[in-house]
Amino acid sequence: MLSIKDLHARVEETTILKGLDLDIKPGEVHAIMGPNGAGKSTLGYVLSGREGYEVESGSVSLEDKDLLDMEVEERAQAGLFLAFQYPVEIPGVSNMEFMKESVNAMREARGEDALSSAEFLKKAKEACKQVELPLDFLKRGVNEGFSGGEKKRNEIMQMIMLEPKLAILDESDSGLDVDALQVVAKGVNSQRDGKRSFIVVTHYQRLLDYIEPDYVHILSNGKIVKSGGPELAKEVEKSGYAWLKEGEVA
Amino acid sequence: MSQWLAQVIERAGNVDDWLASARSKALAELKQKEWPGRRTEAWRYTSLHKVADLNLATTSEATTAEAPQVEGLNSIDLVFVDGHLVSDIANLTLPEGVTIASLDAKSDAAESVFGQVKPQHHLFGLVNDVLAQHGVVIDIAPNANVEQPIRIVNFASDGVESHQRSLVRVGEGAKAVIIEHGVGNGHSLNTAFAEYDIADKAALEHYRLALHEGEAIHVGGSHFRLHNESKLNSTLVGYGSQLTRLDVDIEHAGEHAFAKFNNIYLLAPKEHFDLHSTIEHAQPNGTTEENARGIIGDKAKAVFNGRIHIHRHAQKTLAELNNRNLLLTRGAQINTKPELEIYADDVQCAHGATVAEIDEEALYYMLTRGIDKQQALVMLNFGFVQELLFQMPNRALADWLQPILKQRFERMMEQQ
Repeated sequence: MLSIKDLHARVEETTILKGLDLDIKPGEVHAIMGPNGAGKSTLGYVLSGREGYEVESGSVSLEDKDLLDMEVEERAQAGLFLAFQYPVEIPGVSNMEFMKESVNAMREARGEDALSSAEFLKKAKEACKQVELPLDFLKRGVNEGFSGGEKKRNEIMQMIMLEPKLAILDESDSGLDVDALQVVAKGVNSQRDGKRSFIVVTHYQRLLDYIEPDYVHILSNGKIVKSGGPELAKEVEKSGYAWLKEGEVA
Repeated sequence: MSQWLAQVIERAGNVDDWLASARSKALAELKQKEWPGRRTEAWRYTSLHKVADLNLATTSEATTAEAPQVEGLNSIDLVFVDGHLVSDIANLTLPEGVTIASLDAKSDAAESVFGQVKPQHHLFGLVNDVLAQHGVVIDIAPNANVEQPIRIVNFASDGVESHQRSLVRVGEGAKAVIIEHGVGNGHSLNTAFAEYDIADKAALEHYRLALHEGEAIHVGGSHFRLHNESKLNSTLVGYGSQLTRLDVDIEHAGEHAFAKFNNIYLLAPKEHFDLHSTIEHAQPNGTTEENARGIIGDKAKAVFNGRIHIHRHAQKTLAELNNRNLLLTRGAQINTKPELEIYADDVQCAHGATVAEIDEEALYYMLTRGIDKQQALVMLNFGFVQELLFQMPNRALADWLQPILKQRFERMMEQQ
């Protein structure tokens, strides 16, 4: 599904990713954990093609297509989804028109017909219900005046609507209470169908109690320094990230 | 003095009705006025040379018109064609507490509002004072809660000059919704001035749609006086046409009054739009929130002058004024001037004017959702004014305006 090889990337003059390798097969859930400043969010931005995040070397392919050669919107149309840590507020554009435009852009890229208004509304209502967002929210501006939890649920709602091949969840747990966390996790788990892959970026193990990963990777100083199964996350929970500094990296 | 104004003064001599004494005062003022030129501050960026020699018919053949239908609005329509009231107001079914009369008939409401709210320095306001023989007087009884919107529709026909007046009194504790809806695209001059007296604890929801296009010249104003604890929520939506000039005055004449004033202007290529707003905080504890947003097409010109004047006595005033503009091409022009004049020392005020650029973060967010860049830019640019449409309390009117404005905007983008 996704293959990252020796990826180096920088923001302005600072190199943040320093030789990252990652291989994800269809249906797999990979958790990426690490201390602040390790490059966790940078990875999502680089993969999505954000301006100002410059790839110095290495390669990334999504289903054998060169991801780095695509524009931001082409990457999305190719099946990449990024759930933002801090979703952007766009007060003048309603959730409804935003999602309709987005869903139909994806459908067009897949060679499918655009949804009618009625079909779209039905789908949107179902997705809202799944993440427990009230329906009137569709009429409001994108993320406008939403609480932190609502914004995160909106990201998951969008993921459900857009049916990506690979979803990157960038700290979808940050700022959530346990109830909201469960709603987000339930939304994500509902999309695990054995084909769709996930990268779950998180600082804490807590989210992984609800979204069980197949693999856990520790990112430090721009590289994956340790990989393992779900038990690795529990280890981090117990001992923190201090061991990284003490040079105990295997 | 222009040839046109000389003619106005001459014609004013023929107007003789129950408002004669108020009209003659206005005429005396008008005679003192100089024809505005580049050095006249209020007309600095708007040339009146197209009006100076105007010689249009002052009577009209038209006697009927269909008001634009707004689905779900369910409004009481008062339709004017070239300044003449063509609706049969005697046979309207009105909600309780609403009285609607023609300006022809002498009434206490008309007498207490005509020329009393509108400041006398507006040149075209004075022209309207002396020439507008037709108009409506809307009187909302104290404590009446009138949910059904009352819409004043002004049609301007090709080749005609017309003047229309609206006088509104919202009684103590009453609530009302009033829409001024102007249309016309032929070569015409229409002045439409409205005065609103909003009594203690009353609330007015107000809209002014100045949807004149093409060769139409529209000069008008909406003027409000707010008494103690009254509320005004007003939205102005304007196109440019050959020349559209609007003056809005909001006077906080009582304490603890609240005014929200949003305006949207959307200028197609070569249009000219000029909005001057003045908020007078004459009493303490008043609040004003004014937001003006404009998108300006190629070779079009917008003028925004927003003045907030806080008198020495008006302590604890909260006032915010913000003007943002989006220029679609290098040939588009905005002259913006927010002015704060503060004589009280315990107030909170903010003002700003910007020529907007696209929010890169919002654009990136939209692109990550697979939306094409061109389409994302259209949505973001239009979203810039749509944000104020979302704030309109009347959803039916907002839902009617949205696609009309969107289409106008899409045409503007194509014409770049």
